[in-house]
Amino acid sequence: MSTLAPVIVLIEDEIQISRFVRAALEDEGCQVHEAATSAQGLIDAANRKPDLILLDLGLPDGDGIQVVESLRTWSSVPILILSARSSEQDKIAALDAGADDYLTKPFGVGELLARVRALLRRRMQGAESEPVANVGDLQLDFARRSVTRAGEAIHLTPIEYRLLCVLYASAGRVLTQRQILREVWGPGHAESNHYLRIFVGHLRQKIEADPAQPKHILTETGVGYRFHI
Amino acid sequence: MLFKTTNFIFYSSLRAYALSIFTCIALVALATTLLPYVDLANIVMLFLLAVFLISIYLGRGAGILSAFLSVGLFDYFCVQPRFTFAVNDAQYLLTFAVMLTVALITGQLAAKLRAQAELARQREQTTQALYEMARQLSAALQLNQVCEITAAFLRNTADMQSLILIPKGDDALMPAAPHQVWYEPHMAWAAYQSAAHQGDSASMLTEPDGLYYLPLKGSTRMRGVLVLALPQDVPALASESRELLLAVASLVAIAIERLHYVDVARNTETQVATERLRSSILSALSHDLRTPLTVLVGMADSLALSKPPLSSRQQETAQTLRDQSLRLSAMVTNLLDMARLHAGEVILRKEWQPVEEVIGASIQMLGDALKQHEIKVSLPPDFPMLEFDAVLMERVFCNLLENAAKYSPAQTLIEISAYVEGAHAHIAVRDHGCGIPAPKLEDIFGMFVRGHAAETANQIAGTGIGLAICHAIISAHVGTIKADNQDIGGACITFTLPLGNPPDFNAAMLEGDLT
Repeated sequence: MSTLAPVIVLIEDEIQISRFVRAALEDEGCQVHEAATSAQGLIDAANRKPDLILLDLGLPDGDGIQVVESLRTWSSVPILILSARSSEQDKIAALDAGADDYLTKPFGVGELLARVRALLRRRMQGAESEPVANVGDLQLDFARRSVTRAGEAIHLTPIEYRLLCVLYASAGRVLTQRQILREVWGPGHAESNHYLRIFVGHLRQKIEADPAQPKHILTETGVGYRFHI
Repeated sequence: MLFKTTNFIFYSSLRAYALSIFTCIALVALATTLLPYVDLANIVMLFLLAVFLISIYLGRGAGILSAFLSVGLFDYFCVQPRFTFAVNDAQYLLTFAVMLTVALITGQLAAKLRAQAELARQREQTTQALYEMARQLSAALQLNQVCEITAAFLRNTADMQSLILIPKGDDALMPAAPHQVWYEPHMAWAAYQSAAHQGDSASMLTEPDGLYYLPLKGSTRMRGVLVLALPQDVPALASESRELLLAVASLVAIAIERLHYVDVARNTETQVATERLRSSILSALSHDLRTPLTVLVGMADSLALSKPPLSSRQQETAQTLRDQSLRLSAMVTNLLDMARLHAGEVILRKEWQPVEEVIGASIQMLGDALKQHEIKVSLPPDFPMLEFDAVLMERVFCNLLENAAKYSPAQTLIEISAYVEGAHAHIAVRDHGCGIPAPKLEDIFGMFVRGHAAETANQIAGTGIGLAICHAIISAHVGTIKADNQDIGGACITFTLPLGNPPDFNAAMLEGDLT
């Protein structure tokens, strides 16, 4: 993490939730600015130059998804959504609009900090990418387009390789099925969810130790996938 | 109008005959006076004129009577020798013959013309009345308005009492409005049934005492029966009236059908509004319950992480606070889900997907709860994709795995297996715990039913709602779920999902040859 304290804008209308989230983040060494409405949140996002935005979807003065949309018109700052469980469609809408990850209420402090760290790390790393990446016992060599597992070469089809690259590039974020389909197959295949599932299954067979209980390609049921390093 | 006109003719025919006799006598009186001044041929003309006018205004019978009367009176009073029917000049016989023929023919023609004009007028009035009734029916908003309009029409046009019967349940008819018509329910039912089965809307049943049962057939189904009581003095229906009544019946049927669809539309609207309200109450409730729970979990965590570190006892308290809050949250989720499923409010987002993926996600989601157990997933390599709602199916697996972990000792195996049989996929979750008491196997999927006696159950946290949710979700997917105990001990919950018709897979996409 950089020497400067990361700046976080927290847009949440429940004071008690803001209180403990703020306390947890400050203990972690972050500088937190609170906003209770989406209007105030947008102003803070512009003024404070945050490294991360935490956004509650159920704000009193409007839809959280609109906040994501309007932020994404001018900023690429990571956005972590805080939302209630029973609304997969809202989560998908927020992620498709450009949010990076979500946390389902109720969430623990440990979970919150893990997500925040992952997003901040992505932010700090910036655009530079290593030619070789190690994920557990997997080694991805982007220059040679090869993947090895514990030293043994794994044969991947072009689509499988592209899928793995897309997932890896978004490690620490949640990708919706629509986003992956668009990235890997192109815009014409946004509705072919079952193909995506077949390929994820194949890829798990090749890179996971136990494909039924995967450690890297995690399913976010009803939403999409998350790549865990 | 149809019946009233017949009555009118019947009542007035005697008067018409009297009037025609009187006219003839008056004419003879006039003719006798004129006889010295006017030629006999012109007097014949006067008589012909009289017969013509009588035929037009007083009808055919009066015309024929006056024709004969005129010839007789003319002979008796006007032709030499007068005051006797004898005739001097035989050529007068020709006059009489021609006079009678002309009188009869013109009389007939005139009467026919008049009858036709009368008929046309009646038809026009009937059409007008039907049209008026149709117009009123189209504006009717309630069934009793339809009844009133129909009753008024039949009373005014045909002097008939009427009653509309509508179906009540599957095997009875009931009057749609208060009435004074005495009718036979079984005859009405017979008319209803025969029209419903034969599809013949023109059939009508008659009773000897002048009651008619007209089936009301709408475009989609039978709408009821129209019962008609003829007035006392009309013994039977004429064929034109029969057609008129069938037209009335079809108008009434259309009106009732229209009201039915208005009702259907209104009910749907109400239902949609009710569902929207229920849904918004549930989400508000969900939000309001979850917010304090989130605060509780977060605060407990903050307490555990606070500096300087807590003593181990305080640490334990914080941990318990957190665990119990999460348990409460799981219970709230279960209860809200059950409320949603019970209200039939859940929309399935079914997609074709491998069941393996949702099993993996469930295991990942339960996390620490399964730490004490080993999970073994063994699916056949060729196990097909199934069509289901992933989020709900994840709930099923989470509940089954959580139960298995709760009711079996630590370090034992929990197995998930699957096979295909017939048109269904069977998926089983087995544990090696205490199993389910045999008497409870049947109703274990009921609401708030728990497998074990209270004392045992109290040591293991639960609300008895998990399996009820599984049952509701599997049923929504047109599957079945059942509980069993294994011979070697432990419970086995098996559920089925229909195989359905999996989508075709585009080979090019599968090969990845899109580059």
